[in-house]
Amino acid sequence: MSQLLQIENFTLGFPGRPPLLESVSLHVNDGEAVALVGESGSGKSLTTRAALGLFPGGSESSGLVSVQGLDTLTASKQRLMELRRRHASMIFQDPRAGINPVRTVGDFLTETLLRFDGLSRAEATERAVKQLEQVGLRRAGELMDQHPHQLSGGMLQRVMIAAALLNSPDLLLCDEPTTALDVTTQAGIVKLLREQQQSRGMGMLFITHDLNLAASLCERVYVLRRGEVVEHGPTRAVFLTPEQDYTRQLVEATPVIETGAGSASHAAPGLDPAPLLKVSGLSKTYHLPRGGMVTALDGAEFSLPEGGSLGIVGESGSGKSTLARLVVALETATAGELTLRDVPRPRRPLKASERKALAKDVQIVFQDPYLSLDPRIPVGNAVADVFRLHQKQGRKEAKDSARNLLGRVGIGPERFDALPRALSGGQRQRVALAKALAARPRLLVLDEATSALDVSVQAQVLELVEELRDQLGLTILFVTHDLAVVSRLCSEILVMHQGRIVEQGPTARILEDPGDDYTRNLIASRPRPLWDAEPVTA
Amino acid sequence: MTLAIQLPQAGLRRYGNLLSPMAWGALAVAAVVVFLSLFAPVLAPYDPDYVDLNNVLAGPGAQHLLGTDALGRDLLSRLMHGGRTSLLGPTIVVIGSTVLGLLLGLVAGWSEGWLGKVLGRLFDLLFAFPALLMAMLAIALFGKGLFAPILAMTIAYVPYVARLAQSLVVAERSRPYVQAYRVLGFRTPWVVLGRVLPNLIPTVGAQSTLNFGYVLADLAALSFIGLGVQPPTSDWGAMIEESRGALLGGYILPAFWPALVVVLVVVAVNVIGEELSDRIGGKLS
Amino acid sequence: MTATDHVQAPAPALPTRKREKGKATRPAMYILKKLLALVLTLFVASLAVFFSRFLVPGDPARFLLRGRSPKPEALEEITRQFGLDKPAWEQYLNWLGGILQGDWGRSLTYRQDVSDVLLGRLPTTLQLVALAAVFITVLGLFAGIVASLNKGFGDRFILITLTAAGAVPPFVAAIALVALFSVGLGWFPSFGSGDGGWDRIWHLTLPALALGITYIAMVARVTRSSMNEQLLREHVEVATSRGLTRGSVVARHVLRNALGPILTVSGVLVAGLLVSSAIIERTFGLSGIGQLLVQSIDRLDFGVVQAIVMVVVAAFVLVNTVVDLVQPLIDPRIAAGTESR
Repeated sequence: MSQLLQIENFTLGFPGRPPLLESVSLHVNDGEAVALVGESGSGKSLTTRAALGLFPGGSESSGLVSVQGLDTLTASKQRLMELRRRHASMIFQDPRAGINPVRTVGDFLTETLLRFDGLSRAEATERAVKQLEQVGLRRAGELMDQHPHQLSGGMLQRVMIAAALLNSPDLLLCDEPTTALDVTTQAGIVKLLREQQQSRGMGMLFITHDLNLAASLCERVYVLRRGEVVEHGPTRAVFLTPEQDYTRQLVEATPVIETGAGSASHAAPGLDPAPLLKVSGLSKTYHLPRGGMVTALDGAEFSLPEGGSLGIVGESGSGKSTLARLVVALETATAGELTLRDVPRPRRPLKASERKALAKDVQIVFQDPYLSLDPRIPVGNAVADVFRLHQKQGRKEAKDSARNLLGRVGIGPERFDALPRALSGGQRQRVALAKALAARPRLLVLDEATSALDVSVQAQVLELVEELRDQLGLTILFVTHDLAVVSRLCSEILVMHQGRIVEQGPTARILEDPGDDYTRNLIASRPRPLWDAEPVTA
Repeated sequence: MTLAIQLPQAGLRRYGNLLSPMAWGALAVAAVVVFLSLFAPVLAPYDPDYVDLNNVLAGPGAQHLLGTDALGRDLLSRLMHGGRTSLLGPTIVVIGSTVLGLLLGLVAGWSEGWLGKVLGRLFDLLFAFPALLMAMLAIALFGKGLFAPILAMTIAYVPYVARLAQSLVVAERSRPYVQAYRVLGFRTPWVVLGRVLPNLIPTVGAQSTLNFGYVLADLAALSFIGLGVQPPTSDWGAMIEESRGALLGGYILPAFWPALVVVLVVVAVNVIGEELSDRIGGKLS
Repeated sequence: MTATDHVQAPAPALPTRKREKGKATRPAMYILKKLLALVLTLFVASLAVFFSRFLVPGDPARFLLRGRSPKPEALEEITRQFGLDKPAWEQYLNWLGGILQGDWGRSLTYRQDVSDVLLGRLPTTLQLVALAAVFITVLGLFAGIVASLNKGFGDRFILITLTAAGAVPPFVAAIALVALFSVGLGWFPSFGSGDGGWDRIWHLTLPALALGITYIAMVARVTRSSMNEQLLREHVEVATSRGLTRGSVVARHVLRNALGPILTVSGVLVAGLLVSSAIIERTFGLSGIGQLLVQSIDRLDFGVVQAIVMVVVAAFVLVNTVVDLVQPLIDPRIAAGTESR
């Protein structure tokens, strides 16, 4: 077989700085699907872009990057454009950012056809419509006149795929094409990509941070770490019997659904007569600026016993974050009751004194580690401030308490005076956790608190949360889109869909025997390795 | 953009090379002009209003470093004394509009209800009155001089600061860290004044620095058309106006010096302002 | 507007049904809303302009007659003409009614209707502003585009030039241009507006350049930064990755998307040009409304001042409304209410 994409000893960097890619070698054969796996900053995007001759401005590179014999490092602009138009296409991560928002879908699809293939507008439109239908979009004719903001993320990604396939490329490069999408949407896109790749016999290079996803699509895999390929081989072999430590860590850190975990011993539902958190008929409606209403949360009903751990699972728009924000009183309910520690929540914004009292009952950690901390306040002071407010401690005492607590979450005293930007994402989430715990709450709400982290870091933070829960007897409300993460941490699960709770119960029961169609769909949508036809729910 | 985050030395920028050489130059120019103006009574070689008809329109020389004007007055001394007036106005306007604008912007940005909307509308309305127009209207009402335009321009520049502060506060308010402060039970005044406000000051400061240049130019323009400072007080704009006759007669210097100083100061202020906003932009991304 | 827009704000996905329903009425509603805002802003602005007179303490008749002989008959005349004996709101309604019907009051200086005085002066100002606008559009866009597309030396050179140009106040520019091109080289006249046609343009060239120079710098800067922002966007990379030529990418995806912010400054620009024309017209001896404004302030003719202020404010509000109405054509998301760019 000929090598469709061949990268040999490819090194790329900016002058005067350590290289971003070092001696990367990989190849993709005709008709082969290859995954390039790595965490953020590993250089996977740079590698893929090099295949199209897209290099960051001011960078220097050496080695060989050849597509069908054309070396993109040395090729002329003309040859490169020819390559991009006819032989290799790329699908990008975020279709909402990747498709020009001010032009119509039709315009996006036909612009290359009109310009370079000499098609008339009618011919180009016909071909684009056909392509849209092929990627599973209905009413394709109407879509052509619509603008990107009128389409959902999943539809847009199909449009992007259609555009990539228009000229029947030999090589398809995919840069995390499903990362911005929900799990159920992702499943559809992955299926489509697999079908197209197989039926057209295209070569595909698929970049992802998600090992499961790579295993569900690709026969071979390269593992990239800090600009170097650490391991490669058949996907199954690499994942099941990794040779390198890094790969092994990565495989182990990748969350899988585990029933039987979740420490069911903590929760003793039924025994505790007064649950810590009790919610009934809770609803939240937003008025849209230009009329109309959206029901973000519709009649939520559940209770959470002291010491319990409840996972709230749902996709974007399911209302799970609204629920979390209601619990910590960042939002006020439109209807229904919320009782925390026997204190009914008033249905109005809280007064300062009420908020301060509530702070000792419930705290929250948010998703984004880069925005969760005040950029100007050293992390030690940030935590000490909370001690001063809630534990009535003096300046010095509070600092000592903060140092202790930070140490407990794994932030050493040498980082006490560091500003948040000097910390990594995982460290920032640890500080955010310490800040929340300094108020000594009983209930801790984690709103996608680990979703923005790399898998290896996520695993560490989850471990920390588990440890703290057991030590401090915390009650946990874990809001997430990731079934695997809750299955590890929570004894009970609550599945949400479009503002409603569709199912709730013990984690093991729901994962093994889901009662609701949506839950089943959610579980079935998790990527499954190619070698494993059976669902991985056991 | 993700690339920038991964580069290791990002944190060092805070202390090292805080300003570019160009900004240092601008700062030096501004410092010299402020110093010479501030101490004009002590440093100026002549009485700025001393008329010497034997020495009219003299070129630069040992006696008169920058030459003399059509009445034989020493240009350097007039520049230095004029600088006091020329710099005072913008200083008052910038301080006034920054304080007022910050206050209104904070309130407008933090209050989610009608108050924020009403204030937003008010800012929109104020934008419809360009500063120079507002100043001229005020002069028509209260008479020529510096008082009316300074008052009017202070108000006219409020929306520039307030709108910026408002949008920054709105952005900050939805940031998780601010929400975390609320959940942690910190009182709103403490959060707004102690935590959010300091985060706005660099950006607002950059805007106000730029405003200084605009106000200086506008006030000078008013003096130039005879609506600003009245004789015997003088500023750089008035000096240029006085020199128009000489200019048409081919004597460029009397108009050139004040024009040069105005442009230099405005350039310096703009460079500093842009440098500030660039630094902030770089730090946030 | 920044890249840090995160999902914390309560903006749940809209069910598609509702969106479909509101689709037909949306553009009409948008236009209606903007027009309503226009009327409202003009109304409040007129209140501000009219009642500004009431900020001056003392007898309004004496205020209006400042600098003129306050003879009893003159006081009586002015009281009658402005209806000063009536309640404030009635004075306002009369004034507003008059303006709407084309009766802008009488000028004390010219002994003429204000509207006639204004109309006689307007063409010169409009021609001056139009010529300046041409300079601004052509030079500003050109400099901005060139700077944005030529990273490194070209960009830095243009940026420094722009910083310098942006710092030259119009009146200084006027003096400098006169010194160089009229007194020094003798290429252009330094005074008057000339006869019609080319002579007019020849006379207006220096004033228009002096008027435009700060705004050329402003437009160039906005163009540059707006394009730079777009150049970093992923959709531009996607376009490049599909094999489009550099020219196509820039024209169709960078410049096209960068138009919004450039257009936004045009409201400020028009108002700024009208106000600054006061200074330029005076320097070059052009008899436009700017010159009239300065003269009227000088001669304490408050009715005319009021009228001109209102005209400038109205021009600003109108241009801004037009810009708002054009924006959705440039970026369809604006009308849909998801205006995060």
